[in-house]
Amino acid sequence: MAQQPDYIIEMLHITKEFPGIIANDDITLQLKRGEIHALLGENGAGKSTLMSVLFGLYQPEQGIIKKNGEEVKIKDPNDATALHIGMVHQHFKLVDVFTVLDNIILGAETTKFGFLQKKEARRRVEELSERYGLKVDLDAKVEDITVGMQQRVEILKMLYRDNEILIFDEPTAVLTPQEIDELMATMREFAKEGKSILFISHKLNEIMEVSDRVTVLRKGKYIGTVNTCDTNPQELSNMMVGRPVQLVVEKGPSKPGDVVLEVEGLSVPSHLHKRDAVKNVSFNVRRGEIVCIAGIDGNGQTELIHGLTGLDKVSGGSIKLCGRDITRASIRRRGENMSHIPEDRHKHGLILDFTLEQNMVLQRFREAPFQHGGFINDAEVRKYAERLIDEYDVRSGQGPVTVVRSMSGGNQQKAIIARELDRDKPLVVAVQPTRGLDVGAIEYIHKQLVAERDAGQAVLLVSLELDEVMSLSDRILVMYEGEIVGELDPKTTTAQELGLYMAGATRQGKEATA
Amino acid sequence: MRERLTNLYGKDGTRTVLASILSIIIGLAVGSIIVLIVGAVSSNISGGSTWDGIRLVLFGILSTGRDASGALSFGFNPTSIGNMLFRATPLIMTGLSVAVAYKTGLFNIGAPGQYLMGTMASLMLALGIPSEVVPPAIIWIIAFVGGMAAGALWGAIPGLVKAYLNINEVLASIMTNWIAANIVTWAFEVSDFKNLVESTKSGYIYKTTFNDVATSKMGLDSIFPGSQVNGGIIVAIVIAILMYVLMTKTTLGYQLKACGSNRHAARYAGIKDKRNIVLSMAIAGALSAGGAALYYLSGNTEFAWQTYQALPDTGFNGIPVALLAACNPIGVIFTGVFMSMLDVAGTQLTALTPFNEYITDVVIATIVYLSAFSLVIKMLISGGKKRKKAKAAPAAEVKAEAPPEDADAEKGGEAK
Repeated sequence: MAQQPDYIIEMLHITKEFPGIIANDDITLQLKRGEIHALLGENGAGKSTLMSVLFGLYQPEQGIIKKNGEEVKIKDPNDATALHIGMVHQHFKLVDVFTVLDNIILGAETTKFGFLQKKEARRRVEELSERYGLKVDLDAKVEDITVGMQQRVEILKMLYRDNEILIFDEPTAVLTPQEIDELMATMREFAKEGKSILFISHKLNEIMEVSDRVTVLRKGKYIGTVNTCDTNPQELSNMMVGRPVQLVVEKGPSKPGDVVLEVEGLSVPSHLHKRDAVKNVSFNVRRGEIVCIAGIDGNGQTELIHGLTGLDKVSGGSIKLCGRDITRASIRRRGENMSHIPEDRHKHGLILDFTLEQNMVLQRFREAPFQHGGFINDAEVRKYAERLIDEYDVRSGQGPVTVVRSMSGGNQQKAIIARELDRDKPLVVAVQPTRGLDVGAIEYIHKQLVAERDAGQAVLLVSLELDEVMSLSDRILVMYEGEIVGELDPKTTTAQELGLYMAGATRQGKEATA
Repeated sequence: MRERLTNLYGKDGTRTVLASILSIIIGLAVGSIIVLIVGAVSSNISGGSTWDGIRLVLFGILSTGRDASGALSFGFNPTSIGNMLFRATPLIMTGLSVAVAYKTGLFNIGAPGQYLMGTMASLMLALGIPSEVVPPAIIWIIAFVGGMAAGALWGAIPGLVKAYLNINEVLASIMTNWIAANIVTWAFEVSDFKNLVESTKSGYIYKTTFNDVATSKMGLDSIFPGSQVNGGIIVAIVIAILMYVLMTKTTLGYQLKACGSNRHAARYAGIKDKRNIVLSMAIAGALSAGGAALYYLSGNTEFAWQTYQALPDTGFNGIPVALLAACNPIGVIFTGVFMSMLDVAGTQLTALTPFNEYITDVVIATIVYLSAFSLVIKMLISGGKKRKKAKAAPAAEVKAEAPPEDADAEKGGEAK
């Protein structure tokens, strides 16, 4: 037998261009067998592109890929699968209307005389799910399950295909703290078994915790590869952003003013079942404060926001915004006093096939000067889009006329933030606004939200990330199974305490009665 | 100059046009080959006739018949061109109908039904309002607008079903097509509009010339003498331009397209998604029906009312007209004219050679088929371009890309 080469995968001098942008410029990445190798970089640094090249989704203009020291050609994902390379994409590639099991076996079905052998497949998937503690409901439709579970489905897909090189494209962006811990443990387990992992992230603490080595990219260029044990978060973030970054949010004490949003006994029906997902919830948000709704994904936060913003009808209770009852108002009327950074940027936030400038006026195209007598004023739209792009540093290939679908996730989010914050409404509803973003962008968005607060706006933030909740909010409301189980002050609360509330182990109401 | 050409080539629109033209060329080539094969296998068609057939498939619109020696002659034929424009009128309208719906994310296969409802309403209004009392010009306008209104209502039905019950508009449209066909048959069956005067034919409704409500010629008959052309084509072109303006320049068009591309995001932005789906189908219905009104109000067409057995082709032909034009309303004008040109070539083929017009139907079918592939062809064109670019000297590439890279870095720095 030939001597085992050092590297299982080598990507040498990869260059990949898109119209108007060099996504990868002479990048080299070497992955050792059984290591967890983190790929770090800002949004649009070219991490996803590089991985897509490895996975066969893009063909590089220059450069070669070697597996076990031999050059290989990866023309499409089938080639990648044949080489046992698997990938969990940032935006999951699942068939929404199929069940979890069908999604896992899709493309790798076991058949007998041309008939599906689902029993056998089910047994294998159950075994894998058991072994790695990846809990999924095999018979649920993908459109009905949480993003966290969708990700576990994606991981099971890779395992089902016996992949030995696993690519995780920003896997933790959508997970709760507990789920992240589980994922980290799973990844270490994989590495121990000799699987090699490429882990794309821009969350420094995760990279520090789980990876063996880190490769840093910046604006499509290779910056360097370091051993995780020889570095620290500050050094990594400086490498990534190219300047010293502030890792903690800086904000003064809040000066709460008038009540902007008043929610009284609100109930909202669930998307999944016939019962209410939000049960009899009351709270208010005042000018000049950031109120954060914390909780583990799927405890009614989504429905609560949908009820507030009008995307779903409420089943009971009342909502008052700026003194007006909006419980049954149209979305458009609510929008007069509320801006909304939605949870799902692809479903609600953007029209992906529209251009950036068309998306920038999505909420405002009816207002002057963007329209006159029913006609859209293209010149004003262009001017406005250019201003927002400049002010909020939204990067794209062709500026205002870029089709939004072609932009990186972080810049898509920045476009939404720019559009919503610039509307200057008394209430800002921000749902996971930093999901999937890099430290530079997070720092920026946090600053923007604090600035909104300081300008006297009321901010209602929904976040799944403990760090964000603790550092950004002035008041924390914890949601558990559709109810608010606690109102906490971040200054006097520890992350552990908050975690207990989120997990449903403690609740204020009960304490009081006990 | 050269740079400008490259820019033009780089534009998405240019590639769409090229793809459509390529589809047409391939379609015509295939048509010619079919003529060749038919000529070769049938014993009663000579080599000379086959060659004539091919020439007519390609240039039938310019045919001026046969000269004294019996050879085909070509030149400007005002009658053919006039007829082409006349037949293009309803095709442009049904093409617009499909195109506008498609741009808003809906597939309007209900054009035939809307077309029939438009026919019924406009003919009944045109023939039913006494021309001794109301001036014919006013009747014409009432009939045209009334026809469009009927089509709009009919088109709105699949829209309503889609918006409120989430039933696919294609299914609902197929149903409404046949319902329309039967309603129209029944309504004329019991009406007084059956042509009983001219006993040469049966099953037809009176022409609008019967009470002088025929469409104005707008002087087009002096440009194209001997043809059926009338002002309808001008109305159709004006409507196409209006549709282009509606879709690209107005807030209504923006809303309709937003709903079509992402209904959820449109709703999030406070756009009434249900209303817009209904509206978009109603507009589509009005356009199809308008085509019918322009065709049957012309005065030189007769409507056979027993439609319950077959849906009008003009309705379905709106689909290829729209697809070939990549659903651009301005493009629809040209593809509509092109389709009717093939139609005219078909009649020339029948008149002048042993071939019949069904050959042109085959050519049309081929083009229709290829128009569905025009996206693929577009990708091939783009692919070729990319490869060419990749071959270019790498040095030039670096030079070209360097400035934006720097600018980007600078911007990133100062923004923070």
